Amino acid sequence: MAETYPINIWINEERFEKLQQAGLASMAKEKMAGLKVLPVPTNEEQKDKILKLFPMAKFDSATTKSIELLPREVKDRIFDLIIQKKTLDVIDDFIKMVEEERK
Amino acid sequence: MDNIGHGGKEIVERILPRDEAVKKVEELKQKGAPEIEVRRQIATEVIDIAYGFFCPLEGFMGKADVDGVCKNMRLADGTVWSIPIVFDISDEELSQKGIKEGTEVLLTYMGNPMALFEVSEVFTYDKQEMAQNVYGTTEEKHPGVKRTYAYKDKFLGGKITLLNPPKINPVFEPFFIPPLEMRKRFQEKGWKRVVAHQTRNVPHTGHEWLMKGAWFQTYGELPIDKPYVGVLVNAIIGEKRVGDYIDEAIVLAHDMLRKAGYFGEHNHMTSITFWDMRYAGPREAVFHAALRTNLGLTHHMYGRDHAGVGTYYGPYDAHNLLMSIQDDLRITPTFSMNWLYCPHCGEVTYEGLCNHKDEWQKYSGTLIRSIIIDGVKPPRLIMRPEVFDVVMECAEKYGFGSPFVTEEYLEKRTPVFTIEPLK
Ligand SMILES: [Zn+2]
Repeated sequence: MAETYPINIWINEERFEKLQQAGLASMAKEKMAGLKVLPVPTNEEQKDKILKLFPMAKFDSATTKSIELLPREVKDRIFDLIIQKKTLDVIDDFIKMVEEERK
Repeated sequence: MDNIGHGGKEIVERILPRDEAVKKVEELKQKGAPEIEVRRQIATEVIDIAYGFFCPLEGFMGKADVDGVCKNMRLADGTVWSIPIVFDISDEELSQKGIKEGTEVLLTYMGNPMALFEVSEVFTYDKQEMAQNVYGTTEEKHPGVKRTYAYKDKFLGGKITLLNPPKINPVFEPFFIPPLEMRKRFQEKGWKRVVAHQTRNVPHTGHEWLMKGAWFQTYGELPIDKPYVGVLVNAIIGEKRVGDYIDEAIVLAHDMLRKAGYFGEHNHMTSITFWDMRYAGPREAVFHAALRTNLGLTHHMYGRDHAGVGTYYGPYDAHNLLMSIQDDLRITPTFSMNWLYCPHCGEVTYEGLCNHKDEWQKYSGTLIRSIIIDGVKPPRLIMRPEVFDVVMECAEKYGFGSPFVTEEYLEKRTPVFTIEPLK
């Protein structure tokens, strides 16, 4: 499988409640001594598109190999798509959505 | 008292007592001496020169020093120095104000008199050559190169004397401890060795353990009947970019590590130095060594890719360069690997110690910023709750609601220092 680069959506109480309501609580992973995170995978092409659409974001190539520093609202939208579609495979839809809006 | 700084030179403050300074300004005004209003970067470097942070420099560099620094990483007298400290000026301003060799110039900042600049040299220097030698590249996307290209056409060299010391704003005031004062503080503490932690970040536990690890490294063979070793956090305060932590949060969060007991008065102190990072990687590492030598430190911690940017420098380039000039330095580098969280060990541990490599969870400053942006409080093993709380408090008090620099912060923040009218 090709390498994937996660967008880490960190789960606060509000997001955890939504996950539970959608029956998706088991998707969240435990990390670093008590954090919950949804690592949303992106492939190389998706990663590059996300970084281009959101220039404030940063790919942490040295330490974590993940896309970080996306604004909270952006992650909220990705998160809502996940809840709605009950899958982590939402990045193509998300990119399409943003591209449509910006046309 | 031993006030020997970098290059084996004595640290001498170049600051006139207030009454003499007032007279000097009057004299300059009477004879119609030219005045130059300097930008923030130059003002901070004037302060650094005057207080001895840049010892043995007594002013802005002349051509021989710049050339030596660029080509051999040494001043004209042979002292190791890695980054040009230059005063740039446009041809237009130069001729308009009639500045030439021998001119006494009054430097002003925020409209008030700041320093006397005894211009001894007017010169040009090829900026591409400067960039290539100092940064190893001529690409403008390197922030240091960009800064170099932004310099105006000419450079002025000459001695600086501070006439009007800066007023440091209340948050930062206790942390502005110039070299001579710093050395006194170390003596009072009874520290025989002090190790520097360079920072522009709010500390997570990876940073805390870097400091603790360096404290062990530095302690070495010293006796343990009393605390003989301290960690000095020296936060670099300079140009800010949107998305950085606000300065207030960086300084107060580091200080909180001591206040909240993760360190104590006996082994930890927080301080600031004014400097715009050049991101020169290995050369910046050497510059930091000189700076911290002047502050009276005996050791300096260096992690991977110290003060680097992008992929311009290899992770150990700085270490190798430092080792190659160790005989010319009066400070000993301590090299560190990363600290990380190992769920198997159930603790924050060191790359060089734990062998559960497949289980390691590395965390970076960037990752922690992402967690905070998402409105999540990191676990105490990753970021101390007191640190998190003070960062959030700073967001409210100083950051216009955000712990990160915003356009609003850049526009409305209280400056770290001001130059007040001289009376
Ligand atoms: Zn382990």
